[in-house]
Amino acid sequence: MKVLLVFSTIVVVAFSEQLFVGDQVLRVTATDEEQIALLRELGERVELQVDFWRDPTKPGRPADLRVPFPSLQAVKIFLESHGISYSIMIEDVQQLLDEEKETMMLSRRMERSANTFSFDSYHTLDEIYSWMDTLVADHPNLVSKIQIGESYEKRPLYVLKFSTGGSGRPAIWLDTGIHSREWVTQATGVWTANKLAEDYGHDPTVTSLLDTLDIFFEIVTNPDGYAFTHSSNRLWRKTRSINAGSSCIGVDPNRNWDAGFGDSGSSSNPCSETYHGPYAHSESEVKSIVDFILGHGNVKALISIHSYSQMLMFPYGYKRTPAPDYEELNELAKNAVNDLAAVYGTEYTYGSIADTIYLAAGTTVDWAYENGVKYSYTFELRDTGRYGFLLPSSQIIPTAEETWPALLDIMVHVQQHPY
Amino acid sequence: MTELPPTHSQATRAAALAAAYIRYRHGSPGRGLVLRAVHRARRQDIDGVGHKYHLELVLEDIFGKDSTVNCTAEVLYHLGNKISAPDVQFTIEGELKNTDEADNICYNRIKSLKKELEAENIPDSFGNVSPEMEPIRVLAWVASGYVVWQNSTENTKYQLAQIKHVKQVKRSDEYLEFDYTILLHENVSQEIIPWQMTVLWHPQHGVEVTQNSPQPKHALD
Repeated sequence: MKVLLVFSTIVVVAFSEQLFVGDQVLRVTATDEEQIALLRELGERVELQVDFWRDPTKPGRPADLRVPFPSLQAVKIFLESHGISYSIMIEDVQQLLDEEKETMMLSRRMERSANTFSFDSYHTLDEIYSWMDTLVADHPNLVSKIQIGESYEKRPLYVLKFSTGGSGRPAIWLDTGIHSREWVTQATGVWTANKLAEDYGHDPTVTSLLDTLDIFFEIVTNPDGYAFTHSSNRLWRKTRSINAGSSCIGVDPNRNWDAGFGDSGSSSNPCSETYHGPYAHSESEVKSIVDFILGHGNVKALISIHSYSQMLMFPYGYKRTPAPDYEELNELAKNAVNDLAAVYGTEYTYGSIADTIYLAAGTTVDWAYENGVKYSYTFELRDTGRYGFLLPSSQIIPTAEETWPALLDIMVHVQQHPY
Repeated sequence: MTELPPTHSQATRAAALAAAYIRYRHGSPGRGLVLRAVHRARRQDIDGVGHKYHLELVLEDIFGKDSTVNCTAEVLYHLGNKISAPDVQFTIEGELKNTDEADNICYNRIKSLKKELEAENIPDSFGNVSPEMEPIRVLAWVASGYVVWQNSTENTKYQLAQIKHVKQVKRSDEYLEFDYTILLHENVSQEIIPWQMTVLWHPQHGVEVTQNSPQPKHALD
């Protein structure tokens, strides 16, 4: 922005504490040589202290004048009485200066690189959103941020896109934090996104992966819920949508998908933690993902990350019938879980959702599977109940580190088995 | 008798219940037994009675990370679920580590407090538990084993999610008494259920829950 460039000089002055309160910048366009002469004359009237940011040169070319507040009336009368047209480009120079200073301080904060973020602590929504921008700034040729929609309370739903180019490449979808109280998942999401960005170009597996596929990563899939766990109730799970005719709030976003929607394994009671919602995809947090994945048309894998229980599961949740790809999904889960255990000895169980944990209807993973995404998995990260949702932050990085090889196993398998 | 995969939800729920019961029967602020693995699970349907699970489990003590203990357990869920608590029988292989010293240290420390102990949100939102509160937390966890046992069915799996509030109750005898409000997380319904329990403890007499009742959900805020 030109204004920014012009500002660089003024900023120096500002820092020596000269104030420009109420000063305005007028854009003036002289229509003939006579008007040009008049403007030059205006500039020579010392008592007015008019400061040309852009000199009057030729008729038809705009000139920019900074006019100190005390001179404003006099200058405007002068211009009007001579029929010289002008517009107010900057209403209050000081205000703009203040905003600019703030932006600079913000970018200075952002300029600290993405990998010096404290991955070993839990962060607020604002901190995570801010960090995402830093990640994009640090890896502009790999990572970009997309907004796929808005939450119920109108928070943006952001997805990080990892791509080295191509057009509509096969893609992997990752999400964390769909249930807001599962804090280790959003934290693992941040660590993992950073890891993907850092390893590209250095680690052969990740490099090969991202040279072939795109990854779409939604780290805070339920931002309203997440904000609520910080402000009010640490154990909040659902969205924060208002339910008509009930004082209870929220829908379980992992029962709101159109796969066995409303079947047993979900509740029709708005007060329940597994309330499926009034209809499938009623929640904007869910609909946004549905629209994105269907619109993309080439998503080959979906991994939805939850906590806790230490499990790696695949469809179905809404019925006990084995999925057609059961053998392959089960075998891959077994390998992934073994590689996970190899890091710190953490033991995971694996299998279909219905067998391993419970019947759950309307889940993300079942919807994806029934919409052409063969490799649909859900993780339940640490622990098995000792701390449960309140996992100490000292376990964030170990959790992320051990989950990483399991994620890679799945992603590499997807890369090697195109369909 | 049906053989179940040890990772099957029916097996893991019965195992969680058995572990909760064993934790209650053998636990103390110095010993917290937790389920480590299920090695074998079989289910027996007994006509007119209920479902009986035969389990081979591995437990570990949170205070002795690598010391595991094998045990077998039988869990009988009565027909008509809600009528009575499931029956649990168990056998622990070998000896459990003696915790007299740890228990006595903890007991004396609390006894010597000038004012009755009171605290809330253990762990806090970030999973932190202060060292002074750790035994209070283990005690709650042990005692919650009783509440879990009394309220479990084949379709539930309870865990202690958080201690919302704990207040020590003054006593004239040698027992320590605590009034807890805990949050139980029920894994199948995903509900968070506030529960009040009154817990008595003495190193020589073990842990006892003398009173307990579910609290209304809005008791949370």
